[in-house]
Amino acid sequence: SIPTAAAPEADAEQLQTEQHARSVLRETFLRCLLSMSNKKVRFHMHGKVKLEATFGASDIDILNFQVSDLHTPIGVQKEALIRSQDVIWFTFDK
Amino acid sequence: MQCGWPMLGPLQWIRYVNKQVTVKAGKDEVHRGWLLTVDPVSASLVLVDFKENGGASVHVVMGHAVEEVQILQEADEETADRLRTSFLPPRTCGLDP
Repeated sequence: SIPTAAAPEADAEQLQTEQHARSVLRETFLRCLLSMSNKKVRFHMHGKVKLEATFGASDIDILNFQVSDLHTPIGVQKEALIRSQDVIWFTFDK
Repeated sequence: MQCGWPMLGPLQWIRYVNKQVTVKAGKDEVHRGWLLTVDPVSASLVLVDFKENGGASVHVVMGHAVEEVQILQEADEETADRLRTSFLPPRTCGLDP
């Protein structure tokens, strides 16, 4: 699902601008992910399911989140992976 | 902005940075906050809501769930500054000898 760069005939200058924008956005996002580790995060999933967990890490494609102490409706899971496709949004306090 | 948020691309996403936005996602859920960044891989938005005590709550809305994004207003200088510094790493030592 990674959006590809602009059309191949786009000039080099535009490609460079786009790559710069991409890197600025990504760096800020990665810093945000970094600051989340070991923080309590509340996940809101499809089907109105709400989960609380301690955030660990994400893979580079943001396909899975690794969390600890996942509080689910049927108990606490010590370690877990959450598929990001199942998540609508999540929140934490900085 | 209606559907197709994940397809917009970096040059469009970056125009939303430092703006106060409302994001519609999932079923009738609306989020409001200052847009810090958009992950160019997953198209997820990071919204920051500053609190009066100096803290902030951060909402990350997954790109695949975004239905609509609307700009409310642009950040003033103070807010833009708070956004810029909110996730900077603690001062690190230089590598120069």
